[in-house]
Amino acid sequence: MVTTLSKLQNYFSEIEKNDKKGNKINAFLQLNPHAIDEAKKIDEKIKKRKAGKLAGKIIAIKANINIFGMNASCASKTLEDYKSPYDASVIEKIKREDGLIIGFTNMDEFACGWSGETSAFGVTKNPKSLEFVPGGSSSGSAAAVSADFCDIALGSDTGGSIRVPASHCGVVGLKPSYGAVSRYGLIDMSMSLDQIGPIAKNISDCALLFSIISEKDENDATNIGSKINLKEIEKISPNLKVGILDFKIHDQQIQKIIDENISKAAKKYKWKIEKVKLDYIDFAVATYFPIVYVEFFSATRRFDGRRYGKRIEEVCGSEVLRRIIGGSEISKAEHAGRYYYLALKARKLIEEEFKKTFRKFDCIICPTVPRLPHKIGEKISIEQMFQYDALTCPVNLSGDCAISIPIGKIKNIPIGMQIICEKFNEQKLFQIARSFEK
Amino acid sequence: MDFLFHKLSEKDREEIKKQVDSILQSFSKKLSEIKKDIGESNIEREKFERDEDGNPSELSREIMFGNAPEKNKDFIIGERKKW
Repeated sequence: MVTTLSKLQNYFSEIEKNDKKGNKINAFLQLNPHAIDEAKKIDEKIKKRKAGKLAGKIIAIKANINIFGMNASCASKTLEDYKSPYDASVIEKIKREDGLIIGFTNMDEFACGWSGETSAFGVTKNPKSLEFVPGGSSSGSAAAVSADFCDIALGSDTGGSIRVPASHCGVVGLKPSYGAVSRYGLIDMSMSLDQIGPIAKNISDCALLFSIISEKDENDATNIGSKINLKEIEKISPNLKVGILDFKIHDQQIQKIIDENISKAAKKYKWKIEKVKLDYIDFAVATYFPIVYVEFFSATRRFDGRRYGKRIEEVCGSEVLRRIIGGSEISKAEHAGRYYYLALKARKLIEEEFKKTFRKFDCIICPTVPRLPHKIGEKISIEQMFQYDALTCPVNLSGDCAISIPIGKIKNIPIGMQIICEKFNEQKLFQIARSFEK
Repeated sequence: MDFLFHKLSEKDREEIKKQVDSILQSFSKKLSEIKKDIGESNIEREKFERDEDGNPSELSREIMFGNAPEKNKDFIIGERKKW
């Protein structure tokens, strides 16, 4: 019989073996020093048939979610010595249901990045193709699942930070509806856009972890929770109307893989498919970043060197500094209305456009990322970097839910397909994703 | 540019400031293309404050003070102009 302890030991040994082989994926920043003892306790509960719904599942956590007594460093020098004084609500829920936390995963510094390269503790490699980036910012969480170092992982998604690495690493990643999962204990990047979500090897594990962490939490005023019925996920509606996003993608091979998969599924399940154009989606990147810059600037004012050791501006990397300077500039009184107000206005239009589209369609489908990942350390322009989020950040702006599922490969690099459903329709989202997985 | 983490020099910092100016201008230009107007919106809330329930544990307090570089028994010290 496979026990939680034996599973944990296998994962530890996989992580060690991988490093010895020289692959050095660098998915973890800190392993849980109490994991062995906790695994034994969970196994005892399983024997007595008193264990929770996550018993036996080994879960990795992005290093921007507080776990009591551990170093939630956000992969930054600023919080290098920071010890979390409490558990985030999602961690409390996982522990209550006997999920075993294996450790903190690597990430882009303060979740500011697209590639996993901005971590202050070394880049994470893509387990499916080691010379390429795994995508970010939840780089270590996606890599840990993909490399078989854990069962499931938690990431956070502000503009694509769960879905982009899930796509490049060939795993499943969910960005829940805004308000579905409590953000209490998440070290925020952009509070009006951030959501915590699961990354898993399959839809079933992804839905299981979501069903636990999406329970309503009073500690987050924006949280209303979201309920799903795990048994219902196997049901596939034959009357779905699927919108295929009409968006100009430079890499036609990616779109071709998506189109082929949709056609196959539509034929098999008798779905109606139609192209759908969203007029304001081209404005999403220009809308998203001013909001992120301002909210990130505000969030980082607490890292002033008094409470957490180091002042952020003195020790951070280039992308974090770019966002802080950007936020400081936008917030200046002389710019009132020029950037932020325009961005808020565009955000509202994007939200309304999605809402209108979902009156006609059950879901919208598109590639998760409109480009292939670049090689680690490769020089690319900031505009090229923005492309990574072009199809994921609109969903954060609208507050809807989306999932990335692996759908094919180009030159051995996994390609993800993004399915988007209206806010708090995670049940339907999982059903559609499961029908592709089948 | 490459995005790998590295210690920033004064030259890097100057370069980043220039990049930010150019990025913000491009965003502003793009967003100005939106002609459709939308009304202002606001949210009315009945309650603005929430009561905290429970007390933080001694250990939590100890960890919180442990994270601060300068402190005395009950205070975290932050001298003016030092941060």
